[in-house]
Amino acid sequence: MFPYLHNHFQAFIRGLIRIKSNIGSSIIMFIVIGISLCLPSAGYLIVENVRQISTKVQHEAEISIFLKKDITQEQISFIDSALKNSSEIKKIHFEPKLLAWEKLQAKLKLTTLDIGASENPLPDGFFITLNTLSNVKINGLIDSLKVVDGVDNIVVDGSWIKKLRAIIFMIKIGLFSLGGLLVIVLIVIISNTIRLQTLTFQEEILVSKLIGATNSFIHRPFMYTGLIYGLGGSLVTISILKAMVITFNRAAERFEYILGNTITLKDLPVTDYTIIIFAAMFIGLFASFFAARQSIKKLEKSN
Amino acid sequence: MISFSNVFKRYPGEMDALQDINIEISTGELVFVTGPSGAGKSTLLKLISAIEKPTSGSIIFENLNLAELKNKDMPFLRRKFGMIFQDHKLLYDRNCFENVVLPLEINDINPTDSARRVRAALNKVGLLNKEKVSPISLSGGEQQRLAIARAIVSRPSILIADEPTGNLDKGYADEIMNIFYSFQQVGVTVIVSCHELPISPIKFKQIHLINGKLTQPEDNVPLLT
Repeated sequence: MFPYLHNHFQAFIRGLIRIKSNIGSSIIMFIVIGISLCLPSAGYLIVENVRQISTKVQHEAEISIFLKKDITQEQISFIDSALKNSSEIKKIHFEPKLLAWEKLQAKLKLTTLDIGASENPLPDGFFITLNTLSNVKINGLIDSLKVVDGVDNIVVDGSWIKKLRAIIFMIKIGLFSLGGLLVIVLIVIISNTIRLQTLTFQEEILVSKLIGATNSFIHRPFMYTGLIYGLGGSLVTISILKAMVITFNRAAERFEYILGNTITLKDLPVTDYTIIIFAAMFIGLFASFFAARQSIKKLEKSN
Repeated sequence: MISFSNVFKRYPGEMDALQDINIEISTGELVFVTGPSGAGKSTLLKLISAIEKPTSGSIIFENLNLAELKNKDMPFLRRKFGMIFQDHKLLYDRNCFENVVLPLEINDINPTDSARRVRAALNKVGLLNKEKVSPISLSGGEQQRLAIARAIVSRPSILIADEPTGNLDKGYADEIMNIFYSFQQVGVTVIVSCHELPISPIKFKQIHLINGKLTQPEDNVPLLT
């Protein structure tokens, strides 16, 4: 067992030596792999952040019903009881215009004079949470509410979240497709580099075969080279992603006073970074095995 | 130990490289394969060492018919032979030690044993003081001795040398032949191909080939003595 492991260690060292002896092209290879993996990974990072925000913001559809300014208390009570009788409604919250106006002023730290308004511009409103996300049911409810006396305007707050989720889903499919294409590109690039290496080490391969080396013994240093290319490339990807998150969050901090809220880009979890590393190493390993096997077959035929 | 029966070898699109070869090589024999260029000497050695398979006929080695050997088994059989080539086939990006240790790495020998055996092999061919040197800085004779060290390090039962002295002057050539004689003396089967029969101080067998056929040598050394 120990000699076998020692053999692998030797092959790993040979892989490292080959990378070191072509350090310039090896660095370019790391960068190419790194950037190629970075494109879908960065997309995934952004989509994950948007998805998390959408999850936090709302799980249910909401409807805001704004009432006419001259509405009477009786009309408000009638609407309230009508809403309570609806099976699609989960929660009802009534916001009187006076309270809404006070809240807005407090939030904006403004007085009536600041905005030049002589009277409260806000209407009374019902804010209802629905127990359905079905467009048919929501539209039916809106249609029935529109005709109620005293209702001025109805805004569906939850529909955008559905659209956003659909968009995220489509972007994810797009990212997976892009990732798939880039994996193919990486396999071609790494295979080609390993194929060129087999030509450089043609003599070593032939001598090894003559003195009894198996194909797996000959493949080993090339496979370790591919593995190291994958590892190096994934570290470049992780560095770019980390730099992206840090740069974005620093910029967001500076604009906090303008936006009134802190927007932070959440870094990917360690498991996702581990997946990136292992995926890149697997791509390198697969591509190099494939290339070495093909090249050695060709060498055998030509000799 | 090695037995050829009606062996033919034809390369695609060419004439027969070997025709109807019937030979027996016993354990511990010194065998010279002689003949002019293109006679089939190298082909014969490639067949013995399982680098090539015969087109027809059988080659029996240790109860195995090499003609029927599966490709995946060929590397393991080759490890039983020590191969020496006219052009040495050394790896010039590795030092002498690393060249000689290669067969041991292939055989999964542990590093401590490997180091000891490599130094013993280098010592045997008089290159112990050059283990860290690149083969490129060695003379032709030294390079061939290094190739011999690589061939003997895995303690093969058969040494096969394809024109090992072809590119060397007489002094170096004698040195190399003396190394082969010393191995034969300790029971190793030594098969050497050469254009002309060298002067051997020990008993040997000659296999003389012309145009791929076994032939009686002109100098009247008995065939397969």
